[in-house]
Amino acid sequence: MSENCIISTTNLNLWYHEKHALQSVSMKIPKNKVTALIGPSGCGKSTLLRCFNRLNDLIDHVKITGEITLDDENIHAPDTDVVTLRKRVGMVFQKPNPFPKSIYENIAYGPKVHGVKDKGELDKIVEQSLRHAAIWDEVKDRLHDSALGLSGGQQQRLCIARTLAVSPEVILMDEPCSALDPIATAKIENLIEMLKEEYTVIIVTHNMQQASRVSDYTGFMYLGKLIECGKTVNIFEHPKEELTENYITGRFG
Amino acid sequence: MAEKFHTDLKVLKKDTLAMSALGRLMLRNAVDALIRQDKELAASVVARKDELHKMEVRIEEHCYQLIALNQPVAKDMRVIACTLKVITASMRIGRYGKVIANIVKDISEKPHIANLMSIPHMADLVIDMIDDSVKAYETEDLSFIEDFSARDDTIDALRHSIFREGITFMMEDPRNISRCTHYIMVARYLERCADHACKIAENVHYMQTGERIEIH
Repeated sequence: MSENCIISTTNLNLWYHEKHALQSVSMKIPKNKVTALIGPSGCGKSTLLRCFNRLNDLIDHVKITGEITLDDENIHAPDTDVVTLRKRVGMVFQKPNPFPKSIYENIAYGPKVHGVKDKGELDKIVEQSLRHAAIWDEVKDRLHDSALGLSGGQQQRLCIARTLAVSPEVILMDEPCSALDPIATAKIENLIEMLKEEYTVIIVTHNMQQASRVSDYTGFMYLGKLIECGKTVNIFEHPKEELTENYITGRFG
Repeated sequence: MAEKFHTDLKVLKKDTLAMSALGRLMLRNAVDALIRQDKELAASVVARKDELHKMEVRIEEHCYQLIALNQPVAKDMRVIACTLKVITASMRIGRYGKVIANIVKDISEKPHIANLMSIPHMADLVIDMIDDSVKAYETEDLSFIEDFSARDDTIDALRHSIFREGITFMMEDPRNISRCTHYIMVARYLERCADHACKIAENVHYMQTGERIEIH
């Protein structure tokens, strides 16, 4: 990966109690590209994703060694503000999880926490975020209705808009489409394609077709190790490792 | 699911081998019919063209179905891509067999000039190349095709020598022109068949390694 990289890990190891869940993972995430992490269940792809904004800190008995940098700064350095880190590295989860508040409040919540008070400014952020998440036209007339009244696909795009509202640099997506129907999935996939113009996207997916459709780079993980990482077209046309070949052609997993 | 797909791929390869065997047989029989001036054998070659075409259509459809239903990647995708090329090459080889068989009825009245020059020898070499390219596809063993570049050069040289020899016989006696023109054309068709064997070899190399090569 010769391109500009935004996140880089070096010899990253992670243990949950005795379980060695990530083993010497070294990878570079290119800026303004979509990187997909694939691999069988339990291979560590979500764990790796959650390292990038230190979400694993919230779990007891986790031990991490090695280094993760965001724009060349160590995210485990003592002076790192985790709240700021999570603002720069946003996350979208498997199941849409809007707050039980209005559509407007869902988006305005993050900017408010980070100190934006001006109503005009908030209105602007809400509209811009909803537009970027390709959901503005569907909700602009009911911004003050409860977000829980939206369909699953709309809720997920709302959650993406909520992430965008605090102007992150990186967006982490953990199986963002697995709870959605094919049409809602297609909308999210189109959205991911548009998002990479301004953001870096890292997506975990068990759906290999989705990884091949949406990503520029793909990392294949197996039993806590990063087996192979490279341009998606190379991984899916002629992977270097036999293990990758066997997984993506459905011979195991 | 994946297991069924991989069984289907094996069936696809088996069908493709059967089709390439038919294409190869048509060429072999056409050349034998030419050598022995056997019109009956030539007619049997012409009669099998439709059968070959039907096999090509059926295998091609099977490839598209496998792609549509399974979205194959990596080696699986490359096997299907290679198969599509192998059937096209086999179809062309069979069709050249038919074209040569059609010539047999035109030049069976008089004995051959100079025992068909180097055509029988050239045909043996070309058919060996077809056999080896198909064996590489079947066994996934690239050693069958490693010397194809040199073998193709030999075929080109033979075609050129048949061309020059033919011209010489034509200049000696204008009554030779018709037969010698046919010989020159047959040499050209055989050279094209060797090129198709090279195409198969290039695609088998891609199927196995994911890398493209060009055999000149």
